[in-house]
Amino acid sequence: MNRILLVLFIFCVPLAMHSQTFSVSGTVTEADTNMPLPGVNIIVKNTSNGVVTDFDGNYTIEGVSTGDILVFTYLGFAPQDIVLGNQRQINVSLEPDSQALDEIVVIGYGSQLRREITGSVSTVGDETIDQLKPVNAAQALQGTTSGVNVTPQSGAPGAQSNIRIRGVSTNGDNTPLIILDGFQYNGGLTSINPQDIETITVLKDAQAAIYGTIASNGVILITTKAGKRNQTTRISYEGYTGIQETTRKLPVLNATEYALLLNESYANAGQALPFPNVSGLGSGTDWQDEVFDQTTINSHNLSVSGGAEKINYAFSGSHLYQEGIVAPDKANYRRNTAKLSLDAELMDNLKVSTKLFYTYSKSRGINNFGLGSVLFNAANIAPTISTDQDNLDGTINLGNEVVNPLTQIENTFNSNIVNQLSGTFQATLDYAKNLSLQGRIGFNTSNTKTRDFSPIYNFGTGKIYTRTDNSVTLGKINDNDYTFDLFNTYKNTFDENHDVTFTAGMTVFKQFGEGLYGSRTGVQANSWEFADLNTATGTGEDQTNSSYAYDLRLSFFGRLQYAYKKKYLVSAMFRRDSSTKFGPNNRVVYFPSVTAGWVISEEGFFGESGFIDFLKLRGSYGVMGNDRIGDFLYLSLLNGEATYVLGPDQALVNGNALGALPNPDVKWEEAKKFDVGLDMTFLNDKFDFTADYFINNRDNLLIPNIPVSGIYGTGAPGASSPTVNAGSVRNKGLELSLSYKETFNENFSMNASYNISTLDNEVTEVNGTDFIEGGGFGVGQLAPARMEVGKPIGYFYGYKTDGIFQTPEEVASHPSQSALGAVAQPGDIRYVDINGDGVIDANDRTDIGNPIPNLTMGFNLGLNYKDFDFSVYAYASTGNDIVRNFERDQPNVNRLNYRLDRWTGAGTSNSVPRVTTAATANSVFSDFFVEDGSFARIQTVTLGYTVPLTFSEKTGIERLRIYGKVDNVYTFTEYSGYDPTASTGAPIGGGIDNGFYPLPRTYIIGVNLSF
Amino acid sequence: MKIKLNNTVLGILAGFSLISCGDDFVEVQPPYQISSSTYFTSEDDYNNALVGAYDVLQSTYANVILGEIASDNTHAGGESATDVVGWQQVDKMEQTPINDNLDDVWDWNFAGVQRASYILENQDGFDFAGKSQILGEASFLRAYFNFELVKWFGPIPIKPEGQFVLGEVTSIPRSPEAEVYAYIENDLKFAIANLASTAPQVGRVSKEAAQALLGKAYLYEDKFNDAATQLTAVINSDKYHLYGTEGDEDYANLFEYSAENGPESVFEVQYTGTEGAGFECLQCSEGNVMVGFSGVRGYSGPVFEAGYGFNLPTQEAYDAFSDNDLRRDVTVLNIEEWAAETSASYNTGNPDPNTGHTGFYNRKYLPRQNENQGDANLTQPNNYRAIRYADVLLMAAEAIVRGNGNEGQARGYLNQVRNRAGLENVTSSGNTLLDDIYQDRRLEMMGEGHRFFDLVRTDRAAGTIAGFTAPKNNVFPIPLEEIQFSQGTWDQNTGY
Repeated sequence: MNRILLVLFIFCVPLAMHSQTFSVSGTVTEADTNMPLPGVNIIVKNTSNGVVTDFDGNYTIEGVSTGDILVFTYLGFAPQDIVLGNQRQINVSLEPDSQALDEIVVIGYGSQLRREITGSVSTVGDETIDQLKPVNAAQALQGTTSGVNVTPQSGAPGAQSNIRIRGVSTNGDNTPLIILDGFQYNGGLTSINPQDIETITVLKDAQAAIYGTIASNGVILITTKAGKRNQTTRISYEGYTGIQETTRKLPVLNATEYALLLNESYANAGQALPFPNVSGLGSGTDWQDEVFDQTTINSHNLSVSGGAEKINYAFSGSHLYQEGIVAPDKANYRRNTAKLSLDAELMDNLKVSTKLFYTYSKSRGINNFGLGSVLFNAANIAPTISTDQDNLDGTINLGNEVVNPLTQIENTFNSNIVNQLSGTFQATLDYAKNLSLQGRIGFNTSNTKTRDFSPIYNFGTGKIYTRTDNSVTLGKINDNDYTFDLFNTYKNTFDENHDVTFTAGMTVFKQFGEGLYGSRTGVQANSWEFADLNTATGTGEDQTNSSYAYDLRLSFFGRLQYAYKKKYLVSAMFRRDSSTKFGPNNRVVYFPSVTAGWVISEEGFFGESGFIDFLKLRGSYGVMGNDRIGDFLYLSLLNGEATYVLGPDQALVNGNALGALPNPDVKWEEAKKFDVGLDMTFLNDKFDFTADYFINNRDNLLIPNIPVSGIYGTGAPGASSPTVNAGSVRNKGLELSLSYKETFNENFSMNASYNISTLDNEVTEVNGTDFIEGGGFGVGQLAPARMEVGKPIGYFYGYKTDGIFQTPEEVASHPSQSALGAVAQPGDIRYVDINGDGVIDANDRTDIGNPIPNLTMGFNLGLNYKDFDFSVYAYASTGNDIVRNFERDQPNVNRLNYRLDRWTGAGTSNSVPRVTTAATANSVFSDFFVEDGSFARIQTVTLGYTVPLTFSEKTGIERLRIYGKVDNVYTFTEYSGYDPTASTGAPIGGGIDNGFYPLPRTYIIGVNLSF
Repeated sequence: MKIKLNNTVLGILAGFSLISCGDDFVEVQPPYQISSSTYFTSEDDYNNALVGAYDVLQSTYANVILGEIASDNTHAGGESATDVVGWQQVDKMEQTPINDNLDDVWDWNFAGVQRASYILENQDGFDFAGKSQILGEASFLRAYFNFELVKWFGPIPIKPEGQFVLGEVTSIPRSPEAEVYAYIENDLKFAIANLASTAPQVGRVSKEAAQALLGKAYLYEDKFNDAATQLTAVINSDKYHLYGTEGDEDYANLFEYSAENGPESVFEVQYTGTEGAGFECLQCSEGNVMVGFSGVRGYSGPVFEAGYGFNLPTQEAYDAFSDNDLRRDVTVLNIEEWAAETSASYNTGNPDPNTGHTGFYNRKYLPRQNENQGDANLTQPNNYRAIRYADVLLMAAEAIVRGNGNEGQARGYLNQVRNRAGLENVTSSGNTLLDDIYQDRRLEMMGEGHRFFDLVRTDRAAGTIAGFTAPKNNVFPIPLEEIQFSQGTWDQNTGY
């Protein structure tokens, strides 16, 4: 506890000097490297007498006497107490601090020691990011933090990830707030160079309430690396190169199997066989082999950091190039970033800090998700077709969507370029004793340029990709926002026992932008080379469409933190927001929250030395908002349809009419978050255990287009019902994490951590309508997912199956299934008459699956032996279902090999229906298409070797590490599709696999080098 | 060096930042969007809003086809006995409060009322010459939609001062029919006082259209003298004549494109096929959705295009015409004869004897071959002749007879219509004359959606329409969800 007191003491008390009897001097070094350590605070305990080491680690402290205790403290190192005897020269070497409890954690508009935190807060440090080396920083959260679920939107290069903190709480936007070095960051995590990140902090409960109306999806605070004061310039290079490949191919039929199965399906419908002679077909084309490639990824990152007495800096630049594992020439991602960080102490009480981030990214892509994607075509096209057959006329009819995927790739041309500049300028003024004022402005500005070219090409008659004219489409989008913060912090200790911190301030946020789009046919030479509006000669649509977004928010906030004897910790937060998003009747909102903690291990009764070193019980409750709702839902706009026919020529005339019915009461979604938690370290701090139980209620969910009476005119062309706050969702769960850290000897150390999170999601209210539907299955089918009271949000809604009809008698004794599209026959799927009304129809649909995993866990292990380091990261997710929706329901497409186990006569199969080209009801959305989406994945295995210093010193190299790493090593799952993480991330309609682009497995070798 | 800052300076700083950033900071209008709060500040705004009110007229195709199906004139038809279930139910007079198609009639006509009310409640927004004409048109349109609603549903909620606003469904009761009609009369009287006799544009409303509609409303109220006054005013305006009686006009073309907005047209709903449409928003179509739905299934041959085979005239309706009545072959297409004559081919759908195939089609509103946009079944350009001069003459004749007026005058009006159809004069009087008028009205107006309501208002529906029971079926059920939205403010119509 003394350490904490001292740290606080040093921060709080202006330095002063008094004369005493003698002086002591010496050098402070870093224990690991024996390098001098500048900037170390040395203070005589219980006095205000203190000094700081100079550039060479030297210090001299005057006026000390025998028996005084010198306390050496330096951030990130364990403090040392030295009792003065008669020495006049004291050299000290400081050990790095392994005490996680003393790490400083940012909590929004301030920071706190981990041991004093009273909310549920997880952090991921640069060590983890360094080991994982993710392309997207979001991946560093997967499996490493309890209660956080990260699913990539696709395995395509440059894809974003969906991050869900403590589940899916809304039918709207579930994306957490990202705060980068203090300002709201809207660029998405892919645009941040992960190697610039020092820590990622996740605020999971009411701790986030200081962010008010933007906090309810949880807050991710990213702190980037800065230089250190009084540090010699350090130059680091990190680079890696790797090979990527697909982890899986779908088990589809080869040409002979396909032809035989197709013959059978034609025969079953009484039609002529399409392949009267199957001999000689062989295995045909393996389309997946044709589209998947082994491709490369490489990354370079150069950073420079250092500092002088009053200034510290860090610069970095990075380059990443990643190819897709499908069509690397047409689908790839390039990201160049530059970062500048500069902190300066302009005066004793005035510090400024500035950070600038520049990102250039260029991505090109192929159609990669859903009906008509390259992988969808590869899985569905007939294996009897040869790869060079571009026009499918005259071959077997595969419907209008399925085309040769290689031809599709050849005819794909696009590029998406984003130039983004973000930054912050901050100033802190300690203007009076215990008081500091901080002002900062942060901004994002990005320019996106998209270009898309569709050439003239004949994929076959009726194919949706066939074009008889080409077209080029350009888009230019400009997005801007800024955040301005001004806040005051008062920090003081009264009577030694009462620590008070009070923060109050304001934030202004403004967002605006516009877009310009145009398209035109008649591109010169039918070539990407000339794909520009300027030279295209045809007709254009949407030549000057422009869009505009506008969002303003004004916030005031306050936070009072109080600790009594470091034992009883309380904080209360209050935020007032007003926002353009809210209706005039609800423009202003107040969000209160409170957190409290009790450090039991500080109590007298707890005893001095025991099994438990630290034990804290904490709880929090708070109200937060989600302002990610539609714009101007409260305004009555004339954007309805008003078109009539007037005049002698019967010409169309356009007028104005009201659009969606406004809701002047529209307001934020409201999250009420309750959390109780326990933090504990035991066995000499080797084990660190955290447990949390939470209940999050999200109320006032916005239900779009809610049914209202027709008298309001919502039936008019272009009009619609209002969006009303009318739903609630509850998430509750338990999160446990345990970590272990042990240094056995100077050659061997290890660390391990395990976390497990449960999640129980339930919709508790949907007013004004019975349910909300979403998602899509097959073509022209009823919506497969619903939000409905008593069920998890987005649960799957379809028919329940009961095996396969084996005999005509079974069919006859079962309720008629003809309403589903065809009269059943033996070999067809038998559906359950859920409502018992004697017919199977749309009213017999029911709950057939839950897209939300109810258990997720992560496991990390790190070993260091001599100069070798080894780490493994793994995670698992269980309990969710996934819908197999990548099989085109068309008679002649290729099939997955499970179809070989089809029903062919009584007793042959009770799970896979017969094949036939005749109409059946077998392809309606039922649990036949719902699979268990549970999986466990070994995410990363790394083996590194640090070249011994004796060797590197000769070359001036401070550190040289080479490593090999494998990402996405192996996935244990029973799911039949490419990847069990497949999901659009949609709250209603997620968990439906339309042909997910699998995450690549990557083999990497890399080097870390610093001078 | 240190910056010195005392609390006063800080207070001033903080105060300044607060003042400059009050909550009005977040009061913004969406850029480049037209917002209701700044609308009706120019003449264009009124004109544009009026286009919006006219637009809803196109959705009244639903009233026409379903009104016809409800009557004894036609079967529902379609592909099967369950194709467009709501129509099939109405055909059998088995409608319940759960009927999507009746809900459409409710929603779309109220949408028209709202759009017209939007203009009228903002009539003081901006002054310009010609505003009274626009307000007159808006009043006419509101009356037109309200008249449809009262015909279909009986008592309805009304709010003459303006639009219904969210929440009022639980506080505004359904007004008795008399009050609804008084509201309609007031709107039409205002329209008559403000409308020009010559409409500003083809397709817009004239003073005579308002007079004709007011006369019709009076007729529904059994106010025969008032009705006769308005209807004879239209006749005496000398603006109209029966098509086919002058110049090179040919009666056979009355429902062809060439006669649209012609001399017989008092009020006509305008349609075009130049814009595409889809099933997701039928009311958004600029075409006449009824026409595609009425087309012959799988038709291939001259003159017509294929359609969905709904609204099929019955044998009895076909036989109601005498052989020498020119109207029969203009009104009904006898597909077997036509196919034999032209070698056209076609399919039949719904085989149900009570609701299905008859061999007859509603020729007045069959799709003609034309270059309309997709979905071609939804974008047929046939205008709907909402108020024809023949209708005015027959209504006038009826009003005069029932109001004990000059029977000679009434007979004259009736005989004008009969002569045009190639029929001889009637000489009847009294109730026989009235029956003659009723019979001729059925034949003249067949296929145009009036028959059911004519039967109801003259108490002849029971016994004529299979399955009809009075008083229950005099009106249709209020959609169930509307009853639920009203939370007890509205009662369901008796018997439903």
